[in-house]
Amino acid sequence: MSGMKERRELEETEKLEQIQAIEADAGSVEITELSGDKDETYRVLELALEAGRILLRNGGEIFRVEETVWRICENFGVKGLDTFVLSNGIFVAANYEGRTIYARMRHVPLSGAHLGIVAEVNALSREIASGKVGLEEAFLRLEEIKKIQQHPLWLHTLASGMGAGGFCYIMGATVAESGATFFIGVFLHLFMTLLRKSCSSKVLLNTLGGVFITVLAICGSHFLPFGFQIDKMITGAIMPLVPGVAFVNAIRDIADNDILSGTVRMVDAILVFVYIAVGAGAVLTVYQNLMGGTLV
Amino acid sequence: MTLLLNMLFAGTGALGFTILYNAKPETYVCAWLTGAIGWMFYYIPAQYIDAGAASFLSAAAVAFLSRTFAARKKCPMTIFLIAGIFPIVPGAGVYYTMYYLVTDQLRAAAMKGITSMKVAFAIVLGIVVILSIPKKWFFVSNWRRKDVEKEYIAPSRK
Repeated sequence: MSGMKERRELEETEKLEQIQAIEADAGSVEITELSGDKDETYRVLELALEAGRILLRNGGEIFRVEETVWRICENFGVKGLDTFVLSNGIFVAANYEGRTIYARMRHVPLSGAHLGIVAEVNALSREIASGKVGLEEAFLRLEEIKKIQQHPLWLHTLASGMGAGGFCYIMGATVAESGATFFIGVFLHLFMTLLRKSCSSKVLLNTLGGVFITVLAICGSHFLPFGFQIDKMITGAIMPLVPGVAFVNAIRDIADNDILSGTVRMVDAILVFVYIAVGAGAVLTVYQNLMGGTLV
Repeated sequence: MTLLLNMLFAGTGALGFTILYNAKPETYVCAWLTGAIGWMFYYIPAQYIDAGAASFLSAAAVAFLSRTFAARKKCPMTIFLIAGIFPIVPGAGVYYTMYYLVTDQLRAAAMKGITSMKVAFAIVLGIVVILSIPKKWFFVSNWRRKDVEKEYIAPSRK
C-alpha cells in the first residue's frame, strides 16, 4: 500500500514540475514578444474590467457593460479584444498576434442598485472615449467613484415612505389611507436597515419584510378609528420591497437579445415577489383564522 | 381633481424610488415628470380600454420620455425608466396572485396571475418598441445639422 502511495506522490511531483516548466516557458516567450507595451495593455484591460465590474454590480445593463469595456479598450489602442458578460460575471480576453495575453473573469454577485454610480461610470467612459482623460487619471477617477456613498438614511427613509404612500393612492386608496401607508413605508425602511445588518439572506429578508408590513397594516386597520382597508395599504406598502431595477434591467437585457442574463434577473425579481407574498400571506392566513373575518 | 391628485401621487411615488436607488439630485425633476406623465398615460386610457393595452401605451410613453430625458441629461435612461415603470408594474396583481395561492383560492389566483402576466408582457413590448428606435433620433442636434457623432455600438454587437 505504502509503496503505491509513494509512487503516486512521485508521479504528481513530476507532473507539477513539468507544468511549471511549461508555464515558465510560456512566460518567457510572452515577455520577449511584447516587452514594451505589455504593461500598458495590462493596465488598460484592468481599468476596463474594473469599470465593467462596478457598472454590473450597481445595476448597469449587460450592453452598457460591454460597451464601456470596448470603448475604453479601443480608445487606448488594445486590439483583439473579446468580452462575454453575464448578469453575475464578466469574462475579458485579449489577443496579441494570435496569442492570448490577457484573460480574466470577475465574479459579480447579484446585489442592490446604485444608479448614481452607474451614471458616473458612464460619464467617465464618455470622457475617455472623447480623449479627455488619460489612463492613470481614469484609475484615480474610478477609485473616487467607488467611494461614492449611498444617500443618508433619513432621505432613504423618507423616500421609502413617499414611494409607499404615493403608490397606495394610485392603486385606488383614499388620501388618509395613503398617509397611513407613508408611515408604514418609513417604518419598513428602518426595519429593513436594521435587519440587513444582521442577516443577508434574501429569502428571510423579504419574507420578514412582507410579515412586517402586513402586521402594521392589520394594526392600522384595527386600532385606528378610520376604517382603513388592509389590502390597499399592503399593496402600497410592498412597493419599496419590489426589485424595480432588476425587473427593468431584465426587460432591457431581453430587448437587447441578452436572453440569458435577462432571464436570470427576471427570475430573481419574481422570486423576491414570491418571498414577500409568502410573508404577507402567512400573516393574513393566521389573522383570518383567528378573527374569522373575510379579507381582500 | 382626482386626476390632479393621481398625477401628484404618482410623481411623488416615482421620485421616492429614484431617491431610494441613489440617483443624482439633477435627475429628480425629470423623474417626477416621467412618473406623473407615464401614469396619466395609464390612468386615462384604462377607463376606456383593457389594462393590458393601457399598460402598453403607458410603457411606450415612459420609454419615450426616458430616452428624451436621458439624451438631454446625458445619463443612463434606467433612472427615468424605473421611475416611470414603477406605477404600472403589476406589484398588486402579483401580490393578490400569491395571496390567493396561499389561501387556496386557485381559480382567483389563476385569473389574477394571468392578468398580471399580460400586463408584464405589455410593459415589455411597450419598452421594446421604443428601444428599437435609433439612438441618434433623440438628440436635438440630429435634426439641426447633418454631421452628428455616430452612435457607438460595441464591435461585439455588430
